[in-house]
Order: sequence, then structure tokens, then C-alpha cells
Amino acid sequence: MDGDSSTTDTTQLGITGEYMTGGTYVLQTQDDDGDESFNDHEDGNGSKDYFREQDIYLPIANVARIMKNAIPQTGKVISGNFKNVSCNLGSKDAKECVQECVSEFISFMTSEPLKLYLQKFREAMKGEKGITPVTVSEGLGEELTDESFTGQLPAGLITADGQQQNVMVYTTSYQQIPGVQQIQFS
Amino acid sequence: MSGKNMEEKVEQATNSKNISLPVSRVRLIMKSSPDVSCINQDALFLTTKATELFVQHLALSSYKNGSGKETNTLSYSDLANVAEETETFQFLTDILPKKILARDYLKSLEEMEKDDENL
Repeated sequence: MDGDSSTTDTTQLGITGEYMTGGTYVLQTQDDDGDESFNDHEDGNGSKDYFREQDIYLPIANVARIMKNAIPQTGKVISGNFKNVSCNLGSKDAKECVQECVSEFISFMTSEPLKLYLQKFREAMKGEKGITPVTVSEGLGEELTDESFTGQLPAGLITADGQQQNVMVYTTSYQQIPGVQQIQFS
Repeated sequence: MSGKNMEEKVEQATNSKNISLPVSRVRLIMKSSPDVSCINQDALFLTTKATELFVQHLALSSYKNGSGKETNTLSYSDLANVAEETETFQFLTDILPKKILARDYLKSLEEMEKDDENL
């Protein structure tokens, strides 16, 4: 029998059925940056306090498909439920976890280059350094420390409309730096 | 299938213009980060593409690293192991914890309490 002692059975969790109807539940965003975020709700983003589960994760079918294509043809993804050991990607556990990892990855990718950029922005504003371009791969490289992974990102990027470009811009609400609109990535 | 075929497929997906993930959902997740208001289209596309590559990389690393090679399966424990062992995936350790049986955990708790009493 599987040793997984977790359960989603609402009766065992002590939650009444009403809370779990429709497969949605209220999820509070995690404001890890502390108090600043709480004071920013008047800028119109107050409505993003609550996200449904399907909003913060990418669709599991897409994630599962990508996983399936990555591992050898005859590979299978199983769950913790040992009743269906050879469940051919019909199982949930590993896929759901990758789904969460993906959301974590996106948040990570969004915040890390931003931090780096803000740091350089502040240095530039102090006048100590010239304004230097920030590369996404720098941000990635420092945190992920895996050259082979960052190397996979194509140097020339095909944009959504088919044009080949190799620039990318991050903007935030309060920084408008003249002359720094182009950010190269290697 | 042969490893070569699979690598070609991965390479094809890498260089392809096509993306398999919904861009609007990716934008929503990106906007959930604080201090982000506008997201450039190219940045969004890049992030989506990178996420796709990330899923491939994670799945493949877990599969190769895990015991599933003989059984041809990818399980949660493979993911947890790769999160702990590979430096690239260290940021996932909080959401991919290793699982232990509840009774083992309670046992180790009891042992810890006994040690504290003995001190």
C-alpha cells in the first residue's frame, strides 16, 4: 500500500463539501516581499488578492504533453497511488507537481531579472556606473548556475509574429530610463 | 525509441516557433509577481518558450536520474530527488519535498523528544 498519507477527501480533511464545489477554491497570493505589497492595492491591483487554482497553474494537459514528449517514447509517468502503477500518464501526482514547479519557475524568472535590473538601475541613478544592459541570461545564470540550460535558449528569438529579433524589454511601473529600451540577451 | 530520435524531437521543439502553453496564463502568473505592471510581448514569448524547455529539462533529468530507467517510469520521488541533488533545481526543494511515511516521521519525533529528555 502506498505510504502517501495525504488525502484530498474533504470529509477526512474536516472541510464541508460546500467549500470544494466546482473544483475551485480561494487562494491567497503569497506576498513574500512583505509589507510594501499590501499598501499597493489602491493602484487597481486589489482584485488580484484571490486566484482560482486554474488561474495560477498552466493547464495540466499541456504540461503532461510536454513531459511525455521529453522522456523516451515508452516512458510513463506514474502517481503515488500504487493501485495504478503503470498508469500511462493518466495519473496525477507527478504531473500536478510539475505544474506547480512551472508556476514557480515563471515567478522566479520574472522576479530574478527584475531584481538584477532594479539593482543596476539604482546603481546607475547613483551615477557610479554607466547604464549597462541587463541580460536575461545573466539573471538566469546567477541563479540557476547551469550553463547548459541557459545555453538552450536560442540566441536569435523568433517572436510571435515571426520576426527574428534578439532583444527583450522588461518594464515596471516606475522606471522609465531614457536610452535603455533595448536589453540584449546573449 | 532511440535516443537520437528523441534528441531530434527535442531540438525541433526547441527551435520551433510553435509554443504549446497558453500565453495568457503565463502572463497572469508573471503579473502575480510584485512590481510588475507591463510585460513586453517578446519577454512574454521568451518566458513561455523557456518554460516549455524547463518542463522538458525537468522531466528528462528526473527520468535519467531516477530508478525509473529499468521500469520506464517517472514518479514523484524522481522529481523530489532531482530537486534536492541538482543545483539548478534547488529552488524547487520547497515545493517538491521528499515524502516519508507518517509513522516514520512520528517515530523520529519521538526519538528526538527522548534525546531532549536525556540531555
